[in-house]
Amino acid sequence: MPMVLLKCDKDIPDRQKHIYLKAPDEDTRSYLPISNAATIPGTLSERGCAFCGAKLVIGGVLKDTIQMIHGPIGCAYDTWHTKRYPTDNGHFNMKYVWSTDMKESHIVFGGEKRLEKSMHEAFEQMPDIKRMIVYTTCPTALIGDDVKAVAKRVMAERPDVDVFTVECPGFSGVSQSKGHHVLNIGWINEKVATMEKEITSEYTMNFIGDFNIQGDTQLLQTYWDRLGIQVVSHFTGNGTYDDLRCMHQAKLNVVNCARSSGYIANELKKRYGIPRLDIDSWGFGYMAEGIRKICTFFGIEEKGEALIADEYAKWKPQLDWYKERLKGTKMAIWTGGPRLWHWTKSVEDDLGVQVVAMSSKFGHEEDFEKVIARGKEGTYYIDDGNELEFFEIIDLVKPDVIFTGPRVGELIKKLHIPYVNGHGYHNGPYMGFEGFVNLARDMYNAVHNPLTTLAGIDIRTPAQVQLKEAA
Amino acid sequence: MMASNNEVLSNKVDELYGYVQERCLWQFYSRSWDRSENIDGVISKATDMLLGKTPETATPTERLHMADAKIMVDDFRSRFPWIKDAGEEEVRELMRELRERLTDIAITSSKNHELTHSLY
Amino acid sequence: MSCEAIVKEPAEVKVVAKDRAGIINPMYDCQPAGAQYAGIGVKDCIPLVHGGQGCSMFVRLLFAQHFKENFDIASTSLHEESAVFGGMGRLEQGVMVLARRYPDLRVIPIITTCSTEVIGDDIEGTITRCNLALKSEFPDRKIHLVPVHTPSFKGSQVSGYDECVKSLVKTIANKKGKATGKLNVFPGWVNPGDVILLKHYFKEMDVDATIFMDTEDFDSPMMPDKSIHTHGRTTVEDLQDSANAKATLSLARYEGANAGKYLQEEWEVPNHLLNTPYGIHNTDAMLQKISEITGKEIPESLVKERGLALDALADLAHMFFANKKVAIFGHPDLVLGLAQFCLEVELEPVLLLIGDDQGSKYKKDPRITELKNSVHFDMEIVHNTDLWDLERRIKNKEIELDLIMGHSKGRYIAIDANIPMVRVGFPTFDRAGLYRKPTIGYRGAMELGEAIANALFVHMEYTKNREWILNTW
Repeated sequence: MPMVLLKCDKDIPDRQKHIYLKAPDEDTRSYLPISNAATIPGTLSERGCAFCGAKLVIGGVLKDTIQMIHGPIGCAYDTWHTKRYPTDNGHFNMKYVWSTDMKESHIVFGGEKRLEKSMHEAFEQMPDIKRMIVYTTCPTALIGDDVKAVAKRVMAERPDVDVFTVECPGFSGVSQSKGHHVLNIGWINEKVATMEKEITSEYTMNFIGDFNIQGDTQLLQTYWDRLGIQVVSHFTGNGTYDDLRCMHQAKLNVVNCARSSGYIANELKKRYGIPRLDIDSWGFGYMAEGIRKICTFFGIEEKGEALIADEYAKWKPQLDWYKERLKGTKMAIWTGGPRLWHWTKSVEDDLGVQVVAMSSKFGHEEDFEKVIARGKEGTYYIDDGNELEFFEIIDLVKPDVIFTGPRVGELIKKLHIPYVNGHGYHNGPYMGFEGFVNLARDMYNAVHNPLTTLAGIDIRTPAQVQLKEAA
Repeated sequence: MMASNNEVLSNKVDELYGYVQERCLWQFYSRSWDRSENIDGVISKATDMLLGKTPETATPTERLHMADAKIMVDDFRSRFPWIKDAGEEEVRELMRELRERLTDIAITSSKNHELTHSLY
Repeated sequence: MSCEAIVKEPAEVKVVAKDRAGIINPMYDCQPAGAQYAGIGVKDCIPLVHGGQGCSMFVRLLFAQHFKENFDIASTSLHEESAVFGGMGRLEQGVMVLARRYPDLRVIPIITTCSTEVIGDDIEGTITRCNLALKSEFPDRKIHLVPVHTPSFKGSQVSGYDECVKSLVKTIANKKGKATGKLNVFPGWVNPGDVILLKHYFKEMDVDATIFMDTEDFDSPMMPDKSIHTHGRTTVEDLQDSANAKATLSLARYEGANAGKYLQEEWEVPNHLLNTPYGIHNTDAMLQKISEITGKEIPESLVKERGLALDALADLAHMFFANKKVAIFGHPDLVLGLAQFCLEVELEPVLLLIGDDQGSKYKKDPRITELKNSVHFDMEIVHNTDLWDLERRIKNKEIELDLIMGHSKGRYIAIDANIPMVRVGFPTFDRAGLYRKPTIGYRGAMELGEAIANALFVHMEYTKNREWILNTW
């Protein structure tokens, strides 16, 4: 049965529709896991909420914008000190978070006055910052606070500030994904084309769906600088609020994370005719391919080839050194969704690594079409995997390393399986040519960690037996 | 037993199709019309290039299709040596088949129920 | 350093609230986070957070940051439909799914959030229905469903923890058994290192005590058989027997003391509320109280431990700590307790910062009165405040600090202002292994003192500020 009912799911048999084991001669016309569907309560799913998708993933990345979270204190606290997206201006985005600290009285009588006051306070406390995003949360959405009206009033009183509002209560949608969507659509509806910037090159693009995790955006920027391409805006890695208002000025939209940010790329095409180019900015071969496509579009193929040649000269030997030693390594990927399809073939081609199981927290069917097209047979493709399923899958596929979040990584450590942080990386950045070497290095060091073998030794058993039992 | 012409053709399309599925993302955009536009556009440009013609690039979208197609054609040529010996008829037939298969998996027979949502 | 004599006169201790409405850089997480921390301390227990998925997922991440461990917490995954029409169906489903898939499960704290409190889901009524369903499907099992009302728009993780501890005791404690002669101990929001220290004291004093919650195994090993030990040790039986105990020691006024109060009011278990045992004097008081309640003598071993701490701290106090200005932020019991400790070693805690809206309670804390009577330097205690209040005071040069003590979310204040910071409290994710160390008791005072000293020493070296003093120290 290609759709798999795991033993731990016998009491929640619906899960069978979400877990696929790819067999020869099958494709997504016959089997496609259901995704972006309601979560089953009580399963210990890995999903987060819509507010997370809007603020933590996308909006909060901006380096010059106050993140005003309209709600009780927890949503702000929880989305502060949980990411690794540096900026070139002192990491303003990681140092601060703002909340209207809603109390019971505001729930009863409304929180708009509180929001207005908090917004003014925030601008007063940091007079150099002139931009703000306001997010609604579960209770402020439930009581129907009109945050747009408040924003309008504040902007009227402070003509030098601009405020964007996102309605993303945690209970909307089924995961982070709804938050992505709401922010994307809101931004294009309200803020794109409200400003223009100076165009300094005939080659202009927006880079969409890259959030500068450990410096990814900044690394890729060295390529665009060398190619003479002006990146009008970054959605949203190391990005600014006002640059994003100028997205309509670019000639090309390059999209890495189609899941979180495909929406705005689609709308920019629909409204402004800007073509959307999907690339993989993780992956050695993929990066070369992406650069080639961009350069072909702009008619600067030679520059692209020169860049690629230099990068290959610098990094391919290291990549190949790791490939030699990582060949045959079994990897699992349990992340948000797109990294499944970005990594499954690139680790295979570039590093000889075999991906044996993948789980997506908030991917849609589109993400599964991509990953199943690229992925191997005999591999498990899981939508919204939960903890007991993880244990069972590990028993079935016995991965040597799992790319996942730190909490799950700390869980599987007990099973003597090393993890590499698939979200915020171990020692990144991981994008681009150099980045994939970093990824390979972390994978290599993880897989060769002597502590894993030492953990398997029971010092109470005699030495002879021990030698047989170890590893 | 000699493989029939149809089988040979089918095997060749398998190879091309396998490449696209494994490496390309343009057939998996958000809606059926986006996919259709990309598949038709990229295949059209690729066909032109395989036949030694310079494809039209009047609009930005056409330019992008050409860019996607160029990489694909270069890879076809380096991975599938038989393609340099393919005549015009065969190339057109191969690409027609390829377009049909991609349309089938990505649109017609796709189980992705978001493809027909009118809004993004 | 000037040679003027420092005249010790009574100084001013101001207690104020933050003067802004909104928050910049919160001190604490919200109530459900605290409730989850209490819940994971129970054995065979999986807390079920009734709300959006973020309410549990973010908190699981927070715990993982602090402990470098995974804790099992479930969500009812409130979606839009339930938010509009009511989430009780999701709650029932969550309970049944947990019960079916986790055969050893005995306790499910049902933790409400702002969303489910706003929509007014009837938790108790749902629990009644669930109990019937559970009894029918699992006649040989008893799963305790514990209602924990912790909306996020009141209090904070501090009160949420307190509420959950109380709810667990209230729901599960009963007087079916005979007197146990044991002590109940509610230590508050502490680390495994603190729990181990308390257990050590009870062992040395030959006292049978039950710690709520026993989180010793939150520091858990890699085992050759791959078994996972990251669970609370407090059992259903422990909770049940709390009503049959000889007495209760509540060591944290704002974290668990209400459970002690409840046990006294409902089950006549005498409750002894003590200062959280930060520092020498508070630990003395605790040990003497234990001795008094149980009739057991304090053994020489503990006198020796006390002596070791005094010996170590004496080397540091007037040499390195005297007149050094400290800011402390974190939970109220921790902040006030650490302030008391600071005074014992001549550190000057000039600024104390406490978060959340319970300031009317904190203002009346006897420890504040004691501080008012004992400090010879001006002190400011700010409640209902945030970490921007600390950062702002430093940036505006309203205050000059030699040391900051607090949790890791304040790290950038110290980093950017180049002030030595000792991580203490919760969470301490930007240093390795702190959850394993005690901060209470004699050893806690000693190790904390040494951590402070070492932080000051490193700072001296990196700033080349008289680092040669350490040549012969």
